[in-house]
Amino acid sequence: MSCTRVFRQVCYLHVSSSDSDHCHLSHVVFLYLQGQNPNCRRRLQCGENGTVPKDTEKDSEARAKPQGRRKAFGKAIHALSRIGDELWLDPMVKGLALRSVNTSHSAYACFLFSPIFFQCYNLECGPEQDNQSIKCKLTLKSVLPLFRCLTSIERNVERCQISIRTPSDCVVIQFFCRHGLIKTHNLCFQESEALQAEFASHLCPNVLKAPARLLGDMVMHFPVSQEEITLSTTPQRVSLRNYYEGGNDHMRMMYTEMSLHPDEFVHFQVGVDSDITFCLKELRGLLSFADSHCLPVSVLFGAAGKPVCFFMEDVVLEATVVLATLSDSESDPSQPTASPAPTSRRCEEAATAAAAAVPAGSHEAQDIPAVMELIPSSQGSPILHPPGLMQLLPQCDVPDGLGVPGEGCASATPASTPICSLLFRALSSQQQQDHDGPSVLACDSDAEDETLAVRTL
Amino acid sequence: MPLSTQSQADDEQYVLVASLDNARNLSNILKAITFKDHAIFNATPNGLKVTVEDSKCLQANAFIQAEIFQEFTIKEDVVGFQVNLTVLLDCLNIFGGSTVPGVSTALRMCYRGYGYPLTLFLEEGGVVTVCKINTQEPEEPIDFEFCSANVTNKVILLSESLKEPFSELDMTSEVLQITMSPSQPYFRLSTFGNSGNAHYDYPKDSEMMELFRCNKTQTNRYKMSLLKPSTKALALSSKVSVRTDSRGFLSLQYLVRNDDGQICFVEYYCCPDEEVE
Repeated sequence: MSCTRVFRQVCYLHVSSSDSDHCHLSHVVFLYLQGQNPNCRRRLQCGENGTVPKDTEKDSEARAKPQGRRKAFGKAIHALSRIGDELWLDPMVKGLALRSVNTSHSAYACFLFSPIFFQCYNLECGPEQDNQSIKCKLTLKSVLPLFRCLTSIERNVERCQISIRTPSDCVVIQFFCRHGLIKTHNLCFQESEALQAEFASHLCPNVLKAPARLLGDMVMHFPVSQEEITLSTTPQRVSLRNYYEGGNDHMRMMYTEMSLHPDEFVHFQVGVDSDITFCLKELRGLLSFADSHCLPVSVLFGAAGKPVCFFMEDVVLEATVVLATLSDSESDPSQPTASPAPTSRRCEEAATAAAAAVPAGSHEAQDIPAVMELIPSSQGSPILHPPGLMQLLPQCDVPDGLGVPGEGCASATPASTPICSLLFRALSSQQQQDHDGPSVLACDSDAEDETLAVRTL
Repeated sequence: MPLSTQSQADDEQYVLVASLDNARNLSNILKAITFKDHAIFNATPNGLKVTVEDSKCLQANAFIQAEIFQEFTIKEDVVGFQVNLTVLLDCLNIFGGSTVPGVSTALRMCYRGYGYPLTLFLEEGGVVTVCKINTQEPEEPIDFEFCSANVTNKVILLSESLKEPFSELDMTSEVLQITMSPSQPYFRLSTFGNSGNAHYDYPKDSEMMELFRCNKTQTNRYKMSLLKPSTKALALSSKVSVRTDSRGFLSLQYLVRNDDGQICFVEYYCCPDEEVE
């Protein structure tokens, strides 16, 4: 099973700008989320050549519940706020992606809203932008309050308009509310490299697809403070239990475990018995989102140490959360480089994706500083530094083949080393390879500070 | 009622006696202006005016007319004193704020004059509590010299439309900017916070706009810390009038209905932070 995009159509909706002050913008994205408005505008679909065919009823399903859209968007923001502190907004032809990653790069979430999710989705590129889409990064602290009270949004907001303007580097979120009240929020963003985690879904030996609410109902039994849980999978059963680090305080813990029979799942494929341990807190946001949409959730994973991907989709959106898992090592993590994350034994080996997103060609492996721990990956992915170091690797081996064992790592340590990190691929352009631009594999704080410093000059 | 059995002779000593069957009719409205500890009480035959001030830039007044009280006796033209408002509110709520309908705390507030404490007799369910609160020399409230003749812009809005925006105002913004204009954007509240700015625009023909009388485009900024306490008054009120005068001074007047449906007023006066044309 691969992460295919199920959008039946990609709509380029052209709306003539009614605001005169938009004409100087070099890059504008208009998104309208329409509410229950008796004067619901008829949506026009525009072909690539600019012709305007007649109005169609193709996406009647998308139009069926317009009032749920603003709430869904808000819920996605809530779910992302559980992952990290920053929100990446990436408007693309195939839709608007909202992404977040946590500070230790061990959790990543992406919500992709197709253009048909929106009443209107308009991407305009100015001449100087070429084909590049803009990538903006906002703090969730500034966005979350706008969507905090979802019931109030449902009740009062008739339309939500989001536009991204590059000359002024701001995201404008407007709420057109009842009684004529218009709330306009101008949020400054930092131009940033796009963020996307790579995950080879088709290489996962284990794939479970749980019906709506099953996973949510299961995790409900764990206390809110539970940090990590372990998912054990055999061909005969699937079980979830809580996980505690260290050997101390055994007597004071309450252990919870629940099992499911394979029949409970819509799809059950177990290629390898595995026990994976991952952070529950970061997952809860996605499960809450899935519950409210009654969407089945797919879980893709392999052996311990490899990342686990939770995925759900419907016609208009798809949501992905990729979490690091602990490695097999039971030994004490005498990790030379300390990780800042409290659950320091996060570990994962990221698999490179052979999905379409991978640009053609590969880079030369750069010298990797000897101080970093390198763990070989059976998937052939290059290894990044442990989260503690947060060094930016200019280039790494990125095979675009399938599972080619990479020998690009300068040195290897035994697989028992627990710390590794999630491999990120920063897309510097839409699937186009820059001639000399290095592909940024991990957005690290240092580089971001530099970017910020440059921007404020 | 036990309170009414206070001997008539005692009453002779008091320059001010005010009684309420439901103390909440006073305590609720006082909560709307409790952002500082001390309040100046000014009683006249028309009723009671309670004033709270902050740093000489903000003044809040609560007006409770004599008609609201079941008994309001005043022996002088003006009776003034200053008390700790927090303590007064604690006393008014001494029975714990019962939510059982029909059960309320009765109040009899008595003041003997300069130098004497403010005496409160509170009764609920047959239990009587007597509180004596020390009074201080009343300070003279600031006269903001805000008169109707100088008002340049005035709007009256239904509070319902302002409650949510006020409660979600960006508190990282140091100022709240109010723009009133005969043309777009008509009435706008703006904040300038760490992550960006926000604007709340009210059209002049909205159902929430009961009155719109703006003659001149004016933009004024007020310190957020000063205006934020007015959110309490807004929450209690059903309507609010927003006026600015030629100097940019702001007057907010809130119409508050108490438990018995009677009308009281709360007003806030605020100096502008800086003038922006």
